[in-house]
Amino acid sequence: MKHALLALGVVLPLLSACGGENQRLVQNDEYGDWRNGRARNRPQGATAGIVVFGVDKDREAREAAATGGGSGLSVNAYLWRATLDTLSFMPLASADPFGGTIITEWYSPPSANGERFRAQAYVLGRQLRSDGVRVQVFRQTLDRGQWVDSPVSPSTNADLEDKVLARARELRSQSASR
Amino acid sequence: MRKILLGTTAVVGAALLAPAVAVAQEAPTVRIGGFFRAYYGNTQQSGRNSTQPSTLATNVSGATSNLQQQATGSAESAGNIARLSKNDFSTDAEVHVFVNGKTANGLSYGAVIEIAFNQQEGRNIVQQRASTGKTTASIDEYYAFIASPTFGQIRFGDEDGPVGGLMNSGVVTNFGTGGIYGDRESFVSRQANVRTTTAPGSLGDNTKIIYLSPQFFGFDFGASFAFNYNEGEDTGCSSNQSSGWCDSAYAFTGASNFGIAAAGPNMSVRRNEYQAALRWRGSLAGVGLAVTGGYVGAGAARELTVQGTQARLYNNLNVFQVGAQATAYGLTVGAQYEHGDSNFFWGNTLRGDRPMDQFFTGASYTVGPFTIGGNYVIQTVEGGSRSSFSAAAANGGSSTGLVANPGTPGTGNGTNAALMRRIGWGVGGNYRLAPGLDLVAEYSSYTVAERGRDLDPSNPGIQDRNVAKVFILGTRLAF
Repeated sequence: MKHALLALGVVLPLLSACGGENQRLVQNDEYGDWRNGRARNRPQGATAGIVVFGVDKDREAREAAATGGGSGLSVNAYLWRATLDTLSFMPLASADPFGGTIITEWYSPPSANGERFRAQAYVLGRQLRSDGVRVQVFRQTLDRGQWVDSPVSPSTNADLEDKVLARARELRSQSASR
Repeated sequence: MRKILLGTTAVVGAALLAPAVAVAQEAPTVRIGGFFRAYYGNTQQSGRNSTQPSTLATNVSGATSNLQQQATGSAESAGNIARLSKNDFSTDAEVHVFVNGKTANGLSYGAVIEIAFNQQEGRNIVQQRASTGKTTASIDEYYAFIASPTFGQIRFGDEDGPVGGLMNSGVVTNFGTGGIYGDRESFVSRQANVRTTTAPGSLGDNTKIIYLSPQFFGFDFGASFAFNYNEGEDTGCSSNQSSGWCDSAYAFTGASNFGIAAAGPNMSVRRNEYQAALRWRGSLAGVGLAVTGGYVGAGAARELTVQGTQARLYNNLNVFQVGAQATAYGLTVGAQYEHGDSNFFWGNTLRGDRPMDQFFTGASYTVGPFTIGGNYVIQTVEGGSRSSFSAAAANGGSSTGLVANPGTPGTGNGTNAALMRRIGWGVGGNYRLAPGLDLVAEYSSYTVAERGRDLDPSNPGIQDRNVAKVFILGTRLAF
């Protein structure tokens, strides 16, 4: 008996590495937890209980599913929409919801002839965080018939980021109160 | 055996730790979960009214040690009897801490710490003003784990084994409080051990190392190893001297007393326990199926006479198990059979004792928020020991040191060699008020019977049958 068990003990772990597509990790909630150890029908393992420390991935996923609605966003939906809203006064050149980049065309404000702007925004992840969006504004001025790169006021980028965040907060609170 | 098992897990561990495909790292989360439950219980049990003195102290004034048994001739020894009511409430809770994280190479890791509040079954009164409550906090289970989709999972700590609760099939307990394996024992007192069942989880959560494989083609398997029956941090030695109370004692004077695990000190002769289970899960024509075969084996500590003679008086623990269950349309039916050398509480039997056989079957039906079910268990096992240890026999050259018991004269059980039968059943249901919040009701009955043996020493005469019937009504909240 012992020898048979030993053989199993040695061979089976090695065999298990060869399962390929028919193989998967057995989740913690697929094991019995005898008697009082488990409250029945509660999520187990990685999703059990209430998060007291760390990032609640399940809640994030739920919220992303709720707000993204299966649109295939791979970045935070609030930040993405807030960025689009904030930059919507400029014509869009491209928007990639998977990479999280938004690039606008050059835009000349009606009030300021001889000056044009272009913006690039990056939504950096799935989390709604203050450092989750980066906005870069480029400015050119018309100098003797040529558009020439000019410096942007250092606060412009930060101001736009703040506007995006404020809008994201608005969207978030709207969806939470629904 | 143990070297090879440990070696195997070391290989698997090395494989687990090897870098795999890059997966986003996740910082650990800490979660709190647990349950609270409160029940009303109505208990009908043989021997609830005692007529023979319990010999326990009747008062705590002047006590100098825990409710000690009083000497023959003392007032308590002569006349301490009691009558127990059928009605009682029982509460219990556990708080669980879950830590989960993921490394950059895709390994999941974490720990589970389960804090329980039912450390003491009985009262502990050391002195008149010094006692600890029955609700003293203690650890139920705690372990760390590391898991990889390719190589499976390793758990290390105080946890049930693959056969002892993790991978069993056919043990249907998902209704009421679990039927015959449920919370009934919160209300039943211990005479004749009419509350003790040989449930999978009773095998124990002694400190062990567990390997659980990934599932492939519907199969997964698990194996575990533990050095002994004990759990927790320290050595268990109750004084400066080496004694049988130390966790790792493999031969000690008095080992013959611990074939059946002593509940309080968590003391048993089980040593070098290994478990292995193979499980298949799948579905055929919409019916969910699960089948498990398992084995648990363990050696036993030896009795040691004061002259230094070792006696191998115990059989190895040696139990096979097979179970199966099927689920469709909310209906689950299952059955499990176990056979091998074990007493009624997963303890080592004495050499010469008969093996244990146990058959369990159960069914449950879930419709909407309701679940109802029932289960039944029948076990035959060695009854009163047919032999006992004699140091003189061991010193005289007997390898087991066992001598036959005289038995009880005039009962037809001349050598105490009778078969003990343990039969139980339970029916119950629960209604889900909200996710995690259940109302439960349950009725269960458990009978221990052995021809010619007195199973109720609290009352005069020979009662060869002892019954406990419990009705439970209550609520249970999981969070």
